[in-house]
Amino acid sequence: MTDPIVSAMVFYALAAFTLVAAGFVALSGNIVHSAFALFATLFGVAGLYAYLSADLLAVVQMLVYVGGISVLVLFAVMLTSGLDGPLTSNPTFRLGGGIVLMLAVAAAAFVAATAVPSGVESAAVPTTAAIGDALLGAYVLPFEVVSVVLLAALVGAVTLARGYKGGHR
Amino acid sequence: MTIGLPQYLVVSGVLLALGLFAIVTRKNAVAILMGVELVLNAGLLNLVAFSRFGGGLDGQVFALFGIVLAAAEAVVALAIVLQVFRARRSVDASKACELKE
Amino acid sequence: MLTNLLAIGPELVLTLTVVLVLIADLVIGDRPARRGSLAVLSFAGLAAAAATFFLLPDGGPAAFGGLVSGDGLGVFFRGLFLVAAFFGVAFGALSDEIPVERFGEYAAMLLATTLGMSFLVQSQNLLMILLSLELVSLPSYVLAGFRRGDSRSSEAALKYVLYGAAASGLMLYGFSLLYGMAGTLDLSAIGPALNAKAAGGSVGIRAGIALAALLSLAGFGYKVAAVPFHQWCPDVYEGAPTPVTAFLSVGPKAAGVAALIRFVVIGFGASVATPPAGGLPWPVLLGVLAMATMTLGNLAAIPQDNVKRLLAYSSIAHAGYLLMGIAVGTPDAVQAVAVYLPIYLLMNLGAFLAVMAVRAKTGSETIADYRGLVARSPALSIALAIFLFSLTGLPPLAGFIGKFYLFAAVVKAGTPFFYVLAIVGVLNSVVSLFYYARLVKAMFLEASPDGAPAVLVPVPVGLLLAILAIPTLVLGLWWSPLADLAARAAGIVG
Repeated sequence: MTDPIVSAMVFYALAAFTLVAAGFVALSGNIVHSAFALFATLFGVAGLYAYLSADLLAVVQMLVYVGGISVLVLFAVMLTSGLDGPLTSNPTFRLGGGIVLMLAVAAAAFVAATAVPSGVESAAVPTTAAIGDALLGAYVLPFEVVSVVLLAALVGAVTLARGYKGGHR
Repeated sequence: MTIGLPQYLVVSGVLLALGLFAIVTRKNAVAILMGVELVLNAGLLNLVAFSRFGGGLDGQVFALFGIVLAAAEAVVALAIVLQVFRARRSVDASKACELKE
Repeated sequence: MLTNLLAIGPELVLTLTVVLVLIADLVIGDRPARRGSLAVLSFAGLAAAAATFFLLPDGGPAAFGGLVSGDGLGVFFRGLFLVAAFFGVAFGALSDEIPVERFGEYAAMLLATTLGMSFLVQSQNLLMILLSLELVSLPSYVLAGFRRGDSRSSEAALKYVLYGAAASGLMLYGFSLLYGMAGTLDLSAIGPALNAKAAGGSVGIRAGIALAALLSLAGFGYKVAAVPFHQWCPDVYEGAPTPVTAFLSVGPKAAGVAALIRFVVIGFGASVATPPAGGLPWPVLLGVLAMATMTLGNLAAIPQDNVKRLLAYSSIAHAGYLLMGIAVGTPDAVQAVAVYLPIYLLMNLGAFLAVMAVRAKTGSETIADYRGLVARSPALSIALAIFLFSLTGLPPLAGFIGKFYLFAAVVKAGTPFFYVLAIVGVLNSVVSLFYYARLVKAMFLEASPDGAPAVLVPVPVGLLLAILAIPTLVLGLWWSPLADLAARAAGIVG
């Protein structure tokens, strides 16, 4: 990243890729297209993490999000084709409300973006070792709690997913 | 033409808006969850950007936990989606919805 | 290090109990007395967790470098959650809606939710708040969908998880903005940092803080079922198994209220007595939310025919009353909320237990099937009437004391807005009498439908009803011990 122009172009390319893909996720009429676009969006966000020199996060994003969650979503799309309706019973304001909400949130986010004072950009150094220290130092309690969260999610998902023919295991 | 914090915040703001749009307008449960993933990624991108621009390492650690939470949530949510699908198909597919507002 | 571990002693015991229950479930297998032994194991774990309260370090120092706080508010609510978990496990053990072969998983999920609630009320750090909120949410989604093969139950779980995931996503975004503007994740440092920013800040800064605060509120509002994050509530309460509904209506709601107090009152330092925290008029904001929540809850409850749905709207209304207390934000108001929640726990659990007992015999949850219940089951009808009148807030029942403390705190705030809020609250209580009394009238004054079965209450259910009903009566006349405990929770006395 020596040349600032090239560097900026890389950023804008990444950002455009991410947002166009996200637009497909939100607007595409075909849910399979949406699922693949989500794949691309998460990939783009991983690129932005790398650009922010958050190397560990970029890798974790690739492994957990791109490799795990989006594949899970893709499976769910394939397995449940035509599952709509559970929310139609709610008087949610639909398209018009969605557009108004989107514009309002975008406007608020832009105001916030221009107003938040930017600190000094830190040096682009690898942060993995420091994060590892933090996980077993200052953040050891959240580290343990998140393991319980994962246990609960695992047991819960198994509970839900186990076949429901009779009560015998 | 330097890339600073505002550029990242704009990207994450658009991600948030698109995600919210998907959550509000979609009827398909999986598509709503995709919208949620966009919102989550917007927040995580914010955290990492703030962490780079003067926030210290806390933001990156938070984002790491956030990714793990998103994975746990996705597992449970999709298990429930599959359960609904099975129950619907095996019980009564014509009834679109039994719990009414 | 030992002090740190002792500070989260109850949580460590709860974690161990979750794991032991899961293992015991596998070991016991299909042997008889499976339900009973797992319930006893869970009760033993809860009792052991309660015992570790005596080992908590004195003076309540913050543990783990300030991630969790050991203050009175946290200790009070952690104790309350153990009580809620006791009743949750007991209800599940007595209900036929939880099949015996799944009771182990039920107990484990319920205890995991309790563990999350317990962490949530003491979290002093944005990361810990988000993590423990997820630990509350994920097992509750599973619990809501516990009646497998029942499309109403799984639909309830789906609504719960979709709204919940959206709310926690928004909350994460809000937290990220708070972190960006304050430069720290520590709740006690965020408030002062934002106050300093807002004092000399531009309109943009104030808009940013407002956006961050509102998005963060989404997560708490969802747990509390406050307007406009309440839509999931009636559907989930109706569709989920009754023991789960009973637990969700008191446990996670109380945890959300306590976390909101910590976030708004302790974190931002917002109350009517202080200048606008972070440039935001918190008391008015929360006051308006409180008005909307209780009015909508009470009005929507009137036409309901399903008792569980009626109680769901009633629980939304109660969330509104509780929000009034948080809006005021003075120590008096926090004490009032801390008085109200245990009473609410007793009467709401009692009402759901009665619903469960009726459902077990009649298989129905509609008001029409409660007609003439007094002839078929006098004791149950009287107990349910006590709970319903207490929920209305009629003297001399405990609900009256809770409301009295709340309204007193609101009136004491002394501004015109809060006088209006108090009047709206009183009017709402009058409206609520209308639908609670409709159920009581059906039970006592109307004739049974033809061929309606007698509702015999099993001994354990009767015992639990008595355990819930007697304090509901006694606390209405002799409430000073509870008020003292609540005062300690609010930090009024040391």
